Amino acid sequence: MSALLKKDWFGLGLVLIFGSILISLFKPAFISPFNLYVLMLSVSLMLVVAMSQMIIIAIGQMNLSVGAIGGLVAISFTGLMEVYSMSILPAVLIGLLIGLACGFINGYITVKTGISAFIITLATLYIFKGMNLGITEAQPFYEIPEAVKFFGNAKIFGPIPYLVIIPIIITVLMWILMNRTSLGRYMLAYGNNVQSSELIGISSTKIVIYAHVISGLLAAIGGMLVVCRLQLGTPNIGDSWLLPSFAAPVIGGAILAGGKVDVIATAFGVILVSIISQALVIFKIDPFFVQIFLGFMILLAVFINRYREYREERRTKVFSDE
Amino acid sequence: MNNKIPNFVKTNQFGLLILVIVFICIFSFSTDGFTSRFNIYALSRVVALDIMIGLAMMVVILTGGLNLSLGALGVSAAMFGGWCMESMGIPISITIILVLAFGSFLGWINGFVTVRTGVHSFIVTLATMSIYFGFMTLLTEAEAFRKLPEAFTDFGSLKLFNKYISPLLIISVLTCFVLYYIFKYTDIGRKLIAAGANPDAAELSGISVDRMFIYCHMLSGFLAALAGIMLTARIGAAIPSMAGHLGFDWLLPAFLAPVLGGTLLSGGKVTVFGTMLGAILVTLINNGLYLIDVGEFWVRFFLGIILLGAVLLDRAREYFTVKNSIVS
Amino acid sequence: MKKFIIFLTSFFALLVSPVFAGGHGVTKVALVPGGPHPYFAAWEQAGLDAVEDFGLGKADYRVPAEWDLSQQNELIESLVGQGYNAVLVFPGDAVGTNKILGELDDAGIPTAALAGCVEQPTQAKFCFGTDTGHSAYLGTKELIKALGGKGKIAHFTGFLVDPNTTLRINAVEQAVSEAGGGVEIIQVIADIDAYEPADEKINAFMAAQGSEVDGIVTTAWVPAVVAAQALTNMGDKRIKMVGIDHDEVVLKAIKDGYVHGTMLQNPYGQGYIGSYVMDKVRQGCEFKADAPWKSTAQTDQFIDSGTVFVDISDVDTYVMAMRGISLEILETFDSTYLNCPS
Repeated sequence: MSALLKKDWFGLGLVLIFGSILISLFKPAFISPFNLYVLMLSVSLMLVVAMSQMIIIAIGQMNLSVGAIGGLVAISFTGLMEVYSMSILPAVLIGLLIGLACGFINGYITVKTGISAFIITLATLYIFKGMNLGITEAQPFYEIPEAVKFFGNAKIFGPIPYLVIIPIIITVLMWILMNRTSLGRYMLAYGNNVQSSELIGISSTKIVIYAHVISGLLAAIGGMLVVCRLQLGTPNIGDSWLLPSFAAPVIGGAILAGGKVDVIATAFGVILVSIISQALVIFKIDPFFVQIFLGFMILLAVFINRYREYREERRTKVFSDE
Repeated sequence: MNNKIPNFVKTNQFGLLILVIVFICIFSFSTDGFTSRFNIYALSRVVALDIMIGLAMMVVILTGGLNLSLGALGVSAAMFGGWCMESMGIPISITIILVLAFGSFLGWINGFVTVRTGVHSFIVTLATMSIYFGFMTLLTEAEAFRKLPEAFTDFGSLKLFNKYISPLLIISVLTCFVLYYIFKYTDIGRKLIAAGANPDAAELSGISVDRMFIYCHMLSGFLAALAGIMLTARIGAAIPSMAGHLGFDWLLPAFLAPVLGGTLLSGGKVTVFGTMLGAILVTLINNGLYLIDVGEFWVRFFLGIILLGAVLLDRAREYFTVKNSIVS
Repeated sequence: MKKFIIFLTSFFALLVSPVFAGGHGVTKVALVPGGPHPYFAAWEQAGLDAVEDFGLGKADYRVPAEWDLSQQNELIESLVGQGYNAVLVFPGDAVGTNKILGELDDAGIPTAALAGCVEQPTQAKFCFGTDTGHSAYLGTKELIKALGGKGKIAHFTGFLVDPNTTLRINAVEQAVSEAGGGVEIIQVIADIDAYEPADEKINAFMAAQGSEVDGIVTTAWVPAVVAAQALTNMGDKRIKMVGIDHDEVVLKAIKDGYVHGTMLQNPYGQGYIGSYVMDKVRQGCEFKADAPWKSTAQTDQFIDSGTVFVDISDVDTYVMAMRGISLEILETFDSTYLNCPS
């Protein structure tokens, strides 16, 4: 039990459970099947995006181009199907390939030049988004195959959408990667302290490139999932990803300096953010208040996390990054 | 042999200056309108604002942090100024002082929360961005203040030096010199840098790092408020949307200028004139790309490529100078 | 260092003295939207057609790289250098765009607001477009009619910082209050101008209020698309929705019966006629003192480019209907509005 208490995701889990019970007491519509379905959809999409950012946070960097990669892949995916009447599978593969290539570019330049990933991905954000606008001239693609629409809209059973399958698989894989593989350990070690990981003989080049490639792939998957959901390939996909992509891992206890991320807590962070923005709609919060409310919620989440950390620190007196 | 190369040549600023000159030459010869009076005047105004925004970000980057609330803070301060002048009839000079104080106060909140909680300022300012902007839209109901005193709005369209230069640019350049002086020659400036460079060592040598970090955030708020005032004068009204949704439109120039200018994101280093040159470079490229007519939809793409190129070039220059100094 | 740059630029300025097309000569119009957005796509063809039909020098569709007031200002400023001598602009901000229009006017370049208006006082010659508030009002009226004069409605709209949003919220409220006590606005959802948040919030709304709400009015592009898609996905034909603009998703949902109708605007006509009028203005035409301007909340020099309500009966033919409106405006434009030197 005490081991459980120390987990980052435990406190968040409690907040989620009590929060949900509280909301559904006031508004029973919250646990209606349709609302659960809507909730799962928005969680599914943001989960992939948050994972894409989380893996970069793990190595102590930031990826500002997550949304730009997602958008570029989204319009490429739909464009290939509409303009070149490509079938779904090759379009998906090319989409993944683009995501992989974008991630590789980010990682390769970062590691070869030693320039902060923040700056590199700021530049590639312009490049990827610029390609997106150059290709589409701001026009959406509309011709989406029925199978894609079905995948984005249908339910497996009850309120559970098909769309949730891929994000769950990804989350499980990410958990395995970060907790059970040496690559994951190396990434965290790299994030913790670049020099010491260099000493134990891991090629930092590989670690950084792998992390960025995975991030690019996840952003690509996120972009394509949004296409399934929206049923159109608009150039704006990904524009609004940046803040939530950071919010979820950080609420989940990730440290921006690197070396510490928690997959399950990140997933809980995503759910928390989704529930909050849903609750704002359900409780009909005055639209002018919504913005302020969100700000205070982030602060509150951070305070709680920080307080917990502080108590833990005092108990164990171990070194902390902040 | 290496001694013959003056120190200035080895700096990031020099590389930037060369780039700026190269781009000026390219654009002057390849486009008609680049050197027109109208264009240079327009450029001077855009540059003025980008410099100020860049400086506001730079002073927080000094602490190893970021200020995402920059745009929201600047707009809130500007709206406060509009309210002072239009609704309260407060004279311009007093309004400006009040606005700057207000901006510093919002910056103080950022700094105080960051320091007291130990949470990264990225997250704190992410939250305050929503809060400041939310309160601003709530209080103003998104209504602009547009009946500002003429003396104030006229200043924004004043043309100096044979109508080539906006007075706003003078303000920004002056601010650069003041900041340069503070960081280079004053005790407090050196303490700020020491705190940013190595908080533990600074703490040991008796500097209150927390206080220094709060000062940096206050300075950032002050400069953002100044940028807000300048933008208000330039547009001739205080408008809630003048920096986009949540003030996001300011963030890219805010990062680009200091980063191109050689400010380290890990903190502890400021380059005031680098930031200035960085802002000039970005504005130049943006303007030139429109003039060269690459097709507007591709402007962002080329801007990204050129930025990447500029950063890589700077890296190459650094590598070269380091190698050189090792050789000698 | 700074001085050096100034010196350098001034030096080049003397070398390459700029050539401005003066008050006469060929008209080169720039059509500048607020940013990359599908609504304005028709302006490109409209400009090209205007060049061909009216013998203009240029009528180019020039798009700011981002949806951002300062980017738009920078683009417009650069247009002057490129020799454009007339500018039609969708104002990035109803107030904030005025300053740059004034400066263009000082430089001898006539401007006008297209598709959306700037607030007076302004140097823009006129505003040719859709009265956003009125369009929202008419759309709500249509919705109330479809609901038979009673029911609960929701309003989805764009960014709160956009002054047009306030106009729209007020207009919807006005239409509702005129309907007597039967209609009630149960929720306004704003700030959803991006697809993913719009999808999340609109679906959350459907989950919470879907069974209560009878009608939806949307007054911005993205919410209209997402709400139409949501109703289509749910297969719900009970909730009546009136959208805005001509996105394919909205039009298809109307054909399929999931959306009651949409308030269409006339972007092609705006670009085509706008370019024509700018040429006339440059040739020395003045607006008549007694021109039959319309008044809106923003300006009293407004010309309606036409906004029509389209439902399932005319969704296939709306393009022709719009062409008809455009030609009608064009035919009588000279005699109605202009005094031209012979």
